[in-house]
Amino acid sequence: MRSFWPIYKRELFAFFVTPLAWVLIAVFVVVQGMHFFVLVDHFATGESIAGDETPLSAFFGNTVLHYMVLFVLVPPMTMRLFAEERRSGTIETLMTAPVSSTAVVLAKYAAAMTTYCAMWLPTVLYLVILSRADPGGRLDRGAAASAYLGVLLVGAGYVAIGLCASALTRSQFLAMVCTALVLLVFFILGIGEFVTREGTTMHDVCGYVSVWSHMNDFASGLVDSRRLVFYGTTIALPLFVATRAVDSWRWG
Amino acid sequence: MIRVSHLTKRYGAHTAVDDISFEVGAGEVVGFLGPNGAGKSTTLRILAGFLGASAGTVTVAGRDLAHDSIEARRQIGYMPEAVPLYPEMRVIEYLRFRAELKGVARARRGAYVDEALRRAAVVEVANKTIGHLSKGYRQRVGLADALVAKPPIVVLDEPTAGLDPNQIRETRALVRELGREHTVVLSTHILSEVEACATRVLLLHKGRLVAEGATDRIRAMRSPTGLDVTIGGDAPTAVDAVRAVDGVADVRAVPSTSGDPRVRIRIEFDAPGESGPAGVAGLDGPARALATERCVAALVGKGIGVREVRAAEGSLEDVFAALTQESEAVAPADADADTGSR
Repeated sequence: MRSFWPIYKRELFAFFVTPLAWVLIAVFVVVQGMHFFVLVDHFATGESIAGDETPLSAFFGNTVLHYMVLFVLVPPMTMRLFAEERRSGTIETLMTAPVSSTAVVLAKYAAAMTTYCAMWLPTVLYLVILSRADPGGRLDRGAAASAYLGVLLVGAGYVAIGLCASALTRSQFLAMVCTALVLLVFFILGIGEFVTREGTTMHDVCGYVSVWSHMNDFASGLVDSRRLVFYGTTIALPLFVATRAVDSWRWG
Repeated sequence: MIRVSHLTKRYGAHTAVDDISFEVGAGEVVGFLGPNGAGKSTTLRILAGFLGASAGTVTVAGRDLAHDSIEARRQIGYMPEAVPLYPEMRVIEYLRFRAELKGVARARRGAYVDEALRRAAVVEVANKTIGHLSKGYRQRVGLADALVAKPPIVVLDEPTAGLDPNQIRETRALVRELGREHTVVLSTHILSEVEACATRVLLLHKGRLVAEGATDRIRAMRSPTGLDVTIGGDAPTAVDAVRAVDGVADVRAVPSTSGDPRVRIRIEFDAPGESGPAGVAGLDGPARALATERCVAALVGKGIGVREVRAAEGSLEDVFAALTQESEAVAPADADADTGSR
């Protein structure tokens, strides 16, 4: 695992020396900034606010923007991780260095996750703004922490899926499309929770994978162990498949 | 340093490398020679640990490549054929990254990178972005990468492909110099390249190891084996005149090609005794010169004008054909020796 650190550093370098990471972060911050502005404006005018809804829970949960943004931004973030190296041939120099497949996968994953976190970092400012605007201190710190845990888990699962897709194809474009498709399936299944009859298996399955209800829970401060297991799986399984894929190139 | 036995690599139904066995000793510079598609790159990729073997074993510095892959890879500095590099990095950043990746301790990293920059002659572009470098510099950055961790074994896949004549000369000189400190394995499809760099040659053809031998032997095979003589007269008379000359093994008229009015004959000299393979190498130095003089004298003595005399050199095809035939002749004996040693 000694090779983890240099690969991690190089991947981060590759993210931030090319415009890609900056473009993604800029798009994200603009969209989330408008989202936050609309929310604050909505709550300030005080029309038709449900009793338990706060700007915080509305920002992280109960909003389609969360998924649309991740759906659009995660695939281009992860598409190049392996596909680019295989297309350009640098995978040959990388894999002939004394590195293990696990270290390569984890280092690339960690670099993408760091970029993902950097993308969310500016939104912490919104919390600062909210607590300044409301000196009474009614900002629920626990709910804020659990909301960010939710953001981290959802992103970790998505990025793992994206990394796996990138390891399975030489084409960055195909990796991006496949990632987006898988994320879309998750989202559509999530919608299924609202259109299927209560009590059916389909309803339970849809409810289990619905990012929508996951984020609602997290945003209201609810950390459910089923969610942790679900996201643990969406992280571990794609990473495992990616590691096996990296191993398999030797036999290509 | 490297021991390969019964190595086979199959891609589906296609066999890229077919049951080859060889050894490379410490300090040797070994060249893989063969036409494109002979399996050179595949063999080197397996040596470097990038591809797995379908069958057979590879041991690098005492470590089995299949079971102790990471330690085995630590012994090798490898430059792939296409020299893939990260275009967005600067040369020095790239080499620092590679040194760290290959486990060079932090305290020594700076010195190792400096030395690799110097040996591969890329000091002047150290701060340039790799994407902006010319092909020649990129090739040398790849070399610097192969050397940066000071591995005991250096594996270079077509190190001079795509370089200009000056760069080729420099690279060959560098490879020869590497041979003093490293065990070097390189591949090429150019005969003169292995002659210039390697001490031993392994000849690959269609995935099989068809022959191997010291470079000196290859060079001997290439040395003039006879004469091409352009004459002013008719060919049959000339052939008769030369046939009786001492040291001449064979004479024949060269069929004239259309548009070429010259009349030419080809003279083959006797083999130089035991030292060379029969029928390929000509008489040794002074004897050859003497035989040449006698041939010309004989022609002139018959009243045939001699217009041009040229030494006929063996081509790669000649060497290839000779070595292939030879290896087929000795192959059963080799196989016996192999089983005997195990």
